[in-house]
Amino acid sequence: MEVFLPIAQVPINVLEILFLSAIVGVLSGLFGVGGGFLMTPFLIFLGVPPTYAVANEANNILATSVSGSTTHYLKNTLDYKMGFMIVIGGSIGTLLGIYTFSYFKGIGKIDTLIALAYMYILAIIGSLMLVQGLGEIDKARKKIQIKKKLHVHYWIHGLPFRMRFQKSKLYESAFTPIIIGLMVGFIAAIMGIGGAFILVPAMIYIIGMPTKLIPGTSLFVTIFVSVIVTFLHAFNYGSIDLILVFLLVIGSIIGVQIGQKLGEKIESAGLKTLLAILLLAVGIAIAYDTFFVEHVEKEFIRVENKDLNSLSSLIKKFSEDMPIIYGLFSIFFAVGLGIAAAFIRRFFSDLRKKHFNKTV
Amino acid sequence: MSFSNLKILSKLSYLKTNILKAGIFLGLTAYWSVILVGTFITFS
Repeated sequence: MEVFLPIAQVPINVLEILFLSAIVGVLSGLFGVGGGFLMTPFLIFLGVPPTYAVANEANNILATSVSGSTTHYLKNTLDYKMGFMIVIGGSIGTLLGIYTFSYFKGIGKIDTLIALAYMYILAIIGSLMLVQGLGEIDKARKKIQIKKKLHVHYWIHGLPFRMRFQKSKLYESAFTPIIIGLMVGFIAAIMGIGGAFILVPAMIYIIGMPTKLIPGTSLFVTIFVSVIVTFLHAFNYGSIDLILVFLLVIGSIIGVQIGQKLGEKIESAGLKTLLAILLLAVGIAIAYDTFFVEHVEKEFIRVENKDLNSLSSLIKKFSEDMPIIYGLFSIFFAVGLGIAAAFIRRFFSDLRKKHFNKTV
Repeated sequence: MSFSNLKILSKLSYLKTNILKAGIFLGLTAYWSVILVGTFITFS
């Protein structure tokens, strides 16, 4: 079942997009990561141009972050103060990232930049996860237990402007979350990801936040970073395609629910190793596509408005005539879907608990 | 006799683990070499 994307100007298979975004959603739910660093390369492999893949995946991440963050808000497992400090850095980092994106787009090297960024990020994360996952399996086999230090202090903990973070029970420099947010925002803007895979380890090992507050706070930060990335991409390049966003969000939200349920039942060290192998495989595929495949200049077939159906024509006209309002609409569309998903999930969870209590 | 069999088995298991670790190390080295060489060629 093919659909022509009016903004990206490419045809896509609806079932392929739904299936892939659901699979990535399952992995996100299992590992607590955004999945953007898998979904964007998958979109590129399916023929969506990299600049559109980055922008639309950022919008998808906005929806899933809102959904996850709403759930954590309802459970009261969010440190807003820490989150806002990271967002300050994230906003600056995102602006720098968009500026870098614009520069490389201007010199015609943006596709290469995105491909290289993915290759290196996937290679680094995949290698670290593989080594860590295999190490955990080896230690579990030998039944070795290693005592870890409670706190390790780096130079970043000596920075000025200390402040109290009551919810996390921390007293540290405001620069720490700001610098981390800056890095996350920069990478998010270029790669169209949430940045959780940098943010979560930084929150654990550098900031030292309690584990139960990390997923909610990380998702909270991702909302703001994704909003800025989505808006700037929509306004500067008109690259948000609501049809693609809708398909990605539906697939991801369903997948995340399944992934979270699976995560409660499956042992993590082996899965971490498998995910690492998957990341390395995707990195190799991007490397092969970038360095070894001869790229034939595709004839850019511009589809006229009269060839599009009414919904596609409306979206195209909306995006071209009112880019700011279209950008804001994309954001509210993703936020609305995310909140709806969180409340639907809570409704079914309460229904299941009531049914379970009745049978007991 | 059974004691030397146990020693041989544990040495085999140790060898298997080391071969596996060497294989993973070589695989990662090859992977990184492809990426770094490819980047260098692209930008030269």
